[in-house]
Amino acid sequence: MRRYELMIILDPTLEERVVTPQLEQFLEVVRKDGGSVEKIDVWGRRRLAYDIEKKSEGIYAVVDLNAEPGTVKELDRQLGLNEAVLRTKLMRPERH
Amino acid sequence: MAKPTARKPKKKVCLFCQEKISYVDYKDTALLRKFISDRGKIRARRVTGNCTQHQRDVASAIKNAREMALLPYTSATR
Repeated sequence: MRRYELMIILDPTLEERVVTPQLEQFLEVVRKDGGSVEKIDVWGRRRLAYDIEKKSEGIYAVVDLNAEPGTVKELDRQLGLNEAVLRTKLMRPERH
Repeated sequence: MAKPTARKPKKKVCLFCQEKISYVDYKDTALLRKFISDRGKIRARRVTGNCTQHQRDVASAIKNAREMALLPYTSATR
C-alpha cells in the first residue's frame, strides 16, 4: 500500500453538483481493490494558465489516497480515457 | 593591485532552509510565483539565493505546476 496524491482537471462545462459523484465513481476502482480514499478536495472552477482543449477554465480536484501501485495505474488509465477529464497528475507526496 | 573597495555582495540565504521547509509543493502557486519572472521563466539561483537542493525542488515544482496549468509556460510576449 502506498500513499498517492492525485490532481484532476475536469471539464468546466460539467455542473458543479455532479463533480463529487463523478469523482466517487472514478475512485470506485480504488475502494474495490482494497485501497482507501483519504481526502477529496474540490477546488472548484479555476482559470487555467493556458488553454487546454480550447478551454480556458477547469474544475480542479485533489484526492489523497492509499492504494497498490497497480490499482492506481488502472485508475489513471481510466481517467485518461474519460472525456470529462482534461488532465491528471499522480504523485507520491514525499514524507513531510 | 587590488581594487580599493571590493564590493561585498549581500549574502542571500535560501528561503526554504531558513523556514525549514523540506517539501516544495507544486500546488502552492503563491509561493512558486516568487520564483518566476513576469515572463514566466524560472529565476536563476543567483537571483533567488536558493541552495542547490532547494533550487532543484523549486524548479521541478514549477514544472509540475506548469503541466497542470497552474503556472504559465510563457506569459504574454510583451
